[in-house]
Amino acid sequence: MPSADVVVIGAGLAGLTAAIAAAESGARVHVLAKGHAATHWGPGGIDVAGIPAASTPRDGIRRLAGQPGHPYAFLGDDVAAALEWIRPHLAAGGLEYVGDLDTPLQLVPTSIGGTRRAAILPAGQAAALSPWAAGERLVICGIAGFKDFWPEAIAASLSRERIWEGGNRPASVIPVSVALPGLAARHNLNALEIARRFDDPAWRATAIEAMARAIASVPGSGGRVALPAVLGIREHAAVLVAVQQRLPAAPFEMPLVPPSVPGMRLYAALRAALIRAGGRVQIGEMIERVEHDGRLVTAVVSAAAARTFTVRTGALVLATGGIAGGGLVAERDGRLREPILGLPVEAPPADDWLSVDAFDPAGHPLEKAGIRTDAELRPVGADGASLFDNVRVAGSLLAGERYIRERCGDGVALTSGWRAARSLSAVPAGHAAEPGSERP
Amino acid sequence: MGEAHAYDVLVVGGGATGAGVLRDLARRGLRTLLVERGDYGSGTTGRYHGLLHSGGRYVAKDALAARECIAENRILRRIAPASIEDTGGYFVATPDDPDDYVDGFQAACIAADVDCEEIPVVEALRREPALNPGIRRVFKLPDGSVEPWQLIESNIADARAHGSDAWSYQRLVGMERDGDRIVAAMLRDERSGSLTRVTPRFVISCAGAWAGQIAAMVNVTVTMHPGKGTMLIFNQRMTDTVINRCHKSSDGDIMVPVHTVAILGTTEQRVEDPDQYEITRDEVAALIRQGEKLFPDLGNMRLLRAYAGVRPLYQPPAEVTAAAMKDGRQISRAHTVLDHGAMDGVENFVTIVGGKLTTFRRMAEDTVDMVCAKLGVTEPCTTADAILPNQVPGKTYWLGHRLADHEAEGGGDAGLLCECEFVTRPMLDDFLDRHPGCSLDDMRRGTRLGMGPCQGGFCTFRAAGVLAERAGHAGVADVAELADRAILGFLRERFKGTRPIAAGRQLQEQWMISGVYEGGLGVESLIEHETPEASREVVGAQR
Repeated sequence: MPSADVVVIGAGLAGLTAAIAAAESGARVHVLAKGHAATHWGPGGIDVAGIPAASTPRDGIRRLAGQPGHPYAFLGDDVAAALEWIRPHLAAGGLEYVGDLDTPLQLVPTSIGGTRRAAILPAGQAAALSPWAAGERLVICGIAGFKDFWPEAIAASLSRERIWEGGNRPASVIPVSVALPGLAARHNLNALEIARRFDDPAWRATAIEAMARAIASVPGSGGRVALPAVLGIREHAAVLVAVQQRLPAAPFEMPLVPPSVPGMRLYAALRAALIRAGGRVQIGEMIERVEHDGRLVTAVVSAAAARTFTVRTGALVLATGGIAGGGLVAERDGRLREPILGLPVEAPPADDWLSVDAFDPAGHPLEKAGIRTDAELRPVGADGASLFDNVRVAGSLLAGERYIRERCGDGVALTSGWRAARSLSAVPAGHAAEPGSERP
Repeated sequence: MGEAHAYDVLVVGGGATGAGVLRDLARRGLRTLLVERGDYGSGTTGRYHGLLHSGGRYVAKDALAARECIAENRILRRIAPASIEDTGGYFVATPDDPDDYVDGFQAACIAADVDCEEIPVVEALRREPALNPGIRRVFKLPDGSVEPWQLIESNIADARAHGSDAWSYQRLVGMERDGDRIVAAMLRDERSGSLTRVTPRFVISCAGAWAGQIAAMVNVTVTMHPGKGTMLIFNQRMTDTVINRCHKSSDGDIMVPVHTVAILGTTEQRVEDPDQYEITRDEVAALIRQGEKLFPDLGNMRLLRAYAGVRPLYQPPAEVTAAAMKDGRQISRAHTVLDHGAMDGVENFVTIVGGKLTTFRRMAEDTVDMVCAKLGVTEPCTTADAILPNQVPGKTYWLGHRLADHEAEGGGDAGLLCECEFVTRPMLDDFLDRHPGCSLDDMRRGTRLGMGPCQGGFCTFRAAGVLAERAGHAGVADVAELADRAILGFLRERFKGTRPIAAGRQLQEQWMISGVYEGGLGVESLIEHETPEASREVVGAQR
């Protein structure tokens, strides 16, 4: 029977971070996940605290930490350390991240013509972070026939002062569209297909020439150019360099609706870091049950392709996500269930789950639902006492954060994953399974 | 305010009944204006389950209503086949349904002229394997499903071809009465706020559940008892046939396949105000429990949303019924034409109340007969014989037609904008070419873009992009506002009706879409916070 020191359930940012950190400290780590996580639909940046009141991520963390029950209350001091720890791991996978906790939160334009607050972005998006100079233009360069990026709509929307909250913005926003080789007659392209074309050096050379010509045909010069986030997937770093060298304006990618290419790059970089550190990851595993002996989890049983798979383990990190990820399941009778361990869920009453207005600025009360833990990320019961000694909870499964509206989900995931691993490595050695041993 | 607009008749209310009345009047040579406070079909017509009644539901308790239904069912199949999917209907006896009702059902159908054939249970289960395998008997009847917006549109198109007009987003805000006559009506444009004065010779209220509010403008009392009916939309067609329980009709006993989804109906609950009502989680749970008697696995299927419509219920006072009987007219228990001349001393005003979508044409005919008699018009009704515009006789709607049409034209890369409902870029362009200045709701109803299982999550901003691209090329100034309205409107629309069903896979998908649009794409930055639209509670969602 296979055994591990740490089993991580969930392969999103929190789970993979916990797995990498644990593997680095010498633990044998096994990640089990039913599928890919929020990385595949997120924009691929690291949102730490993009709230309107905050000037920088650090300021945002401080503000959120002051909210009753927010995970930053006990994680906030570690965000900087976790961020600096992950940075070289991602860089080793070809993903440089720009910005830190003291980088001013900037409104960056999005592919539906809106703006969002960001400070820490992958290099491919980072040109959106600097303030706009007087008279600076923004060209929105679309790809003919691609239905998930509409330059006219984006440009028209971003030309409005209110989208930039009346503050710093480009002097002009100009749409242009370019036909890329072999794609003009295709209409059912998705972002991933185009990204894979860019991985091909010969194709991308022609494509980038066509883009350069199209951008040069737009009135004005210099400034920046927004492109759909399709600039390669495996070869993204090389594509980015080529685009930066050839285009007559500073390029940045705009993330799109799923499948998110920048998010897939992030996943790939995290996964590669885990493999380098000696960990394992298995996707497509539905967790059937977790075995435990009193306060100690002993094994995880999953089901995939016509067989069950049991891993004996010394510890468990639960990073199964919130409602979107399936870490919390909402029942019709108004109960919220944590399906792996049956942990108690902190949640508002069912009639109050959703606000009346879809875009209620106060958010939906259900967003804060999750698992309450102690400062060591051990799940706790109603009395505040921890329920398991060798279980840690990480990521958006944690109660008290609103990972979408507070734009803090990546910061919480990264820091809680990192902390969970460190906390487990401090667990007395007797708790870790010896290879082949029957019981921890 | 400009000059007053003179019309023979003003029709108030742009649901199916109003559109039918407009068409009938226009075909009899009366120049008519229909006004609707919102979009056409945005009241009760757009909030029902989509059933084309065979009459089977009424044979036991209301044979006259059943007769009307089957007669109109046959007429609609002839004059509006494009708006009807010929699903057929099964009335199934579950183990919970009493024998005496089931045993007498076929005879009651035959007595009411409703076609009814008993078929073997195994045959029904072979065709509809999701049905409860414990059903005991199955009767096959000519039920179907109706596309109400298309039906309204074709009635209005026919009326326009006969010289009449229809205006949406025009709210009737007042009527001037001079003695025993209404002399003018005042309309407010719900988008611009501008006022228009209309001087009709006659006013017909087709306002349904809102009829009391219209009549009150000329100090006439019409007491409506709005009856809320709640329905649930599932993300799949677990049946291709309309399924009714063979019992005295009750809650949660009918499932109607509509395009790519299926709708479970319904409940019956009095509400005070047709604009203010709520759907509760308990109601949803109760509906599902009933529905599980037809489809045992229903509780595990993904719900898309709950919505409700208000039935225009009216109980005529005894003296009205007597007066109607005296002048020899057969008054159906299903609907009533109120003659405010005889009842209230307003000579040029009638209200049509009650009824159901299946019989909208007959309701219109009865109403217009009365009005024509008063106006001295002798033209007969032709709406049962004349086929509506844009129809191919005998060719009913078929779910697979879009793919079939595409393949017939050579197939290949279709430029799909909406994967759920097979809406391609050429289809959207064609619709927008034919409906210049149409609203986003018009676009959604006209093409079904965003109405499938993903409820607009992925096609929303593509539609906005197409609108912006076209508007940009046409030199339209407020491209961005147009695109905002498309995106925010779609997302708000798909959110509506999800509060009482928030659970399981549906909530998971909703959270994911919310993460994509709010987390990654900054959709909230598009919201203009001073618009009251953003905070207004909209009670029932449309289908």
